[in-house]
Amino acid sequence: MEGTATILIAVILFSIVLIAWLVLRPSVTATRGGKILAFVALLVFPVLAGGLGVNEQIQHSKTTRFCLSCHVMEDYGKSLRVDDRSFVPAIHFQNNLVPRDKACFTCHTDYTMFGDYNAKLRGLKHVYAYYLGKPSQPIKLYTPYNNRECLHCHLGARSFEESEAHTKDPQVMAKMKVNEVGCTTSGCHSITHNVGQLKEFSIWKEPTE
Amino acid sequence: MTAPLTTIEKRIRLSGLLLIAGLLVELITLRWSHPTSFLFFLLLGGLLMALGIVVYLLTLVSAENKSSAR
Repeated sequence: MEGTATILIAVILFSIVLIAWLVLRPSVTATRGGKILAFVALLVFPVLAGGLGVNEQIQHSKTTRFCLSCHVMEDYGKSLRVDDRSFVPAIHFQNNLVPRDKACFTCHTDYTMFGDYNAKLRGLKHVYAYYLGKPSQPIKLYTPYNNRECLHCHLGARSFEESEAHTKDPQVMAKMKVNEVGCTTSGCHSITHNVGQLKEFSIWKEPTE
Repeated sequence: MTAPLTTIEKRIRLSGLLLIAGLLVELITLRWSHPTSFLFFLLLGGLLMALGIVVYLLTLVSAENKSSAR
C-alpha cells in the first residue's frame, strides 16, 4: 500500500508541475508539442491520478485505523483488546487470526462477488448517518451476521471441521454451512463486541517493540 | 508588455487551475485517515477534477469548431 501511495503522490506532484507550467504559459498550446503536452497534463495525468486515488482511498478505508477514527466506533475498537477469550473479535484480533491492520473489514465485508462494493456503499450510509442522521445506539448490523464470513477462513480448517461441538450432531455442521444455524446467534459464539460490558473486563495492552 | 490571452488560453488556464485545486484536495485527503477525507476526495476533489477535464475538452471542441469554420 505504501508503494502505490508513493507512486500516486509522485503522479500528483508531477501533474501539478506540468499543469502549473501550462497555467503560467498557456500560449505553448499553440504549437503541436504544446497541444500534446496539454493533452497529457490536462487529461491523461489527472485521469490516472484520479483512478489511482480512488483505489488508494478504497484500500485506506479497509484499515482498522480508518474504521475506528469515528467517535462512535471507539468502544468497538476497545472490544478488540478485551482480555477475555470468550470475546470472538478480541480472540481473533489478539492472536492474528485476522490481520490487525484490517480487522474490521476482514470480518465485516461480504465474501461475495460485489462484497467489497457493498461494504463501501454501507460505509457511505454510515457517513451520512454520522453527519446528517443519527447513528443507532447501540450500532446494529443491517442484516444478521452471515456464517459465510466466518467460513471464509474456518471452512476446511481442522480445528473447525473436527471440533467436537461441530461434529457431535451431524446435522449441525450441514446447517452451519448453509447459514441455518448461526455461529454467533446459536449461543456458541455469541459474545462478540458486547460494548455494554467492556467496563467489567481488563484491556490487553499490545507489547510495543 | 505581454500579449492579452486568447479565449482558448484563458480556458486552458481555468482548466489547469481547477485541476490543480482538485489534485491538491486529493493530495491532502491521502494523508488524512478519516471517513470525511473520503467524502472530500470524492465530492470536492472529484468535482474539481471533473470540471477541469470538462473545461479542457470543451476547449478542444470549440477550437476544433473554429478551425473547421475557417
